[in-house]
Amino acid sequence: MALPLYERNIKHFFISLTSFTILIVFMFVLALSLGPAMLSPHKVFQAIFLKPFGYAVDDSVNVIAMLRLSRALASLLCGASLALAGLLMQTITRNPLADPYIFGLSSTALTAIALGIILAPNLMVHKAYVVIVSFLGALTGYALTLSLSKLSGGTSLAMVLAGIAIASLFSGASHILLYVVQQVIKTPYVYLLMGSASTVLLKDLYFLAFPTIILTILSLAFFKPLNAYLYGDEYAKQLGFNPTLVRDFAASIAALLTAITIAFVGVVGFIGLAAPHIARFLTGSDHKFAIPITTLVGALLTLVADIVVKLVSMFAGAVGELPLGVVTAVIGAPFLAYLIIKKVRE
Amino acid sequence: MKIVVNGLEVWYNSTPALKNVSLKVSGGEMTFVIGPNGAGKSTLLKTIASIVKPRAGVIYIDGKLISSISPKELGKIVAYVEPHISKSIPSTVLEFLLTARYPHHSTLSFTTPRQDLEAVEKVSKQLNIEHLLSRRLDQLSSGELQRVLIARALIQNPKALLLDEPAAFLDLRYRLEVLDYVSSIVKVNKVICIVAIHDLYLASLYADKIIVLDYGEVVAAGTPDEVLKEELLEKVYRVKVHIVNINGRRVVIPVEPIERISL
Ligand SMILES: Nc1ncnc2c1ncn2[C@@H]1O[C@H](COP(=O)(O)OP(=O)(O)O)[C@@H](O)[C@H]1O
Ligand SMILES: [Mg+2]
Repeated sequence: MALPLYERNIKHFFISLTSFTILIVFMFVLALSLGPAMLSPHKVFQAIFLKPFGYAVDDSVNVIAMLRLSRALASLLCGASLALAGLLMQTITRNPLADPYIFGLSSTALTAIALGIILAPNLMVHKAYVVIVSFLGALTGYALTLSLSKLSGGTSLAMVLAGIAIASLFSGASHILLYVVQQVIKTPYVYLLMGSASTVLLKDLYFLAFPTIILTILSLAFFKPLNAYLYGDEYAKQLGFNPTLVRDFAASIAALLTAITIAFVGVVGFIGLAAPHIARFLTGSDHKFAIPITTLVGALLTLVADIVVKLVSMFAGAVGELPLGVVTAVIGAPFLAYLIIKKVRE
Repeated sequence: MKIVVNGLEVWYNSTPALKNVSLKVSGGEMTFVIGPNGAGKSTLLKTIASIVKPRAGVIYIDGKLISSISPKELGKIVAYVEPHISKSIPSTVLEFLLTARYPHHSTLSFTTPRQDLEAVEKVSKQLNIEHLLSRRLDQLSSGELQRVLIARALIQNPKALLLDEPAAFLDLRYRLEVLDYVSSIVKVNKVICIVAIHDLYLASLYADKIIVLDYGEVVAAGTPDEVLKEELLEKVYRVKVHIVNINGRRVVIPVEPIERISL
């Protein structure tokens, strides 16, 4: 019984892995083909895939193609990061309703970025600095939440409540600062607040791609402590893992992942909440299987949401684009409602 | 196999939970720790499992100081079965049981060896939870969960098995079956087994040694014949008891409280 059951889990894992990979490739091609410039997909693919081999491409075509490529890649990578951050946050709080922003990390990271732009605008032109500042902001948020929750007993409920307090405090601060910032960087601050992948540049993507890949592999390598942690601090302890260490380790990874996505696309809700649920539903809670599937689900959802953003702006013909976070919220809200109903029923 | 505890003192912040506890437990014997609520039974087991750190005193397992054994190494040797685990993140019984093998592998190894699955298979058959392997932990009855928790400890294959209230939610049949099964494993594999339990009846049936704790102190220790005395139990539990002889064992029957709660 144990062996066939385990083999069935593995089979489900590989089926999910392949299906999501195929879906992502399909959506990626679609994302490259779509854009407000109404360029023929044919030309875009020539620019992306043949130009490295010496194929001559129009400069204007090339610019558009590279913009689309970096935008699609940014959606994929940010989606994967957010989803993994969400999974880790759910694990360390043992709360299935946790998301990457639960500890108020997003508002502190945004506050830090806004402060950075105001104080040193010429430094913040480099994405690497934005990422670092955002990470420092997110870590500060985590430390504040943790110390506040320690003061009130250190339970996971205390942690969630502390997170809410920190989030509300700093979201006010970040709104005010971002309002000032939009004068400096000349983009509406709603994009930072609600997310947009349209401004990401190809040359900056390294700072997104490498951390995402490395942190995913790192989390995957520690799937055992994460699994043991699920069943309680004392349980983890007697299997030889230090629960405080596991929590701090996973929280720093989650904070780093969240901070990076905020630096690149701003705050995008629901991906970090929904993707881990979908992954656990498909492959179970074992992090060995859940981590890879969660990242794929997050990547796919975000890419699809960004395609919707593009379609809306192409066909509704309004000025500018919808923020990415608005679309994920519209997709995610029914999902959240479903979760709440299911939880209340139990 | 032997566990020796000497002068153990445990505090939670400013409240003492164990005071000057010394005892010796050998492998192949069922040692039962009894005592009223809050006497320190769980604390004693948790301290031996190194989950709680003592303020003073030493614990030796097989002549080795427990504080000198690495947490992971200790995970191979000692299994503590707590009455509660967190099940807020949905997870199946099989996923839970497989974590029991982690102390035996390198943290970074990625494969699940066949022997692990075979160990799960064997123990879950014996404890009759095989049909529950694909069930979620939060969908089990408390008795089923209790068997799963005990199965986990056995799959860990420890040298010392510390069971905290293992009979709490079990029905009549499984109370006897589970303890019977644990006791035969203990006898065959010469495992150390310490059971913290409320049920004096079960203690009288299965104990080779009994330790009585009260207010964090050992007030009596020895064979059931030496320890299960009316006077002692009435003093510790504040309950009138009869001791009857069944199948050559002294069996404790609680009769009525000594102080009635007045209306
Ligand atoms: N985590 C804890 N924090 C503070 N006090 C505790 C904690 N756990 C147990 N205690 C206290 O220590 C004493 C012994 O508890 P415990 O070992 O759980 O008793 P038992 O298992 O015999 O019922 C009790 O007075 C209890 O209130
Ligand atoms: Mg207890």
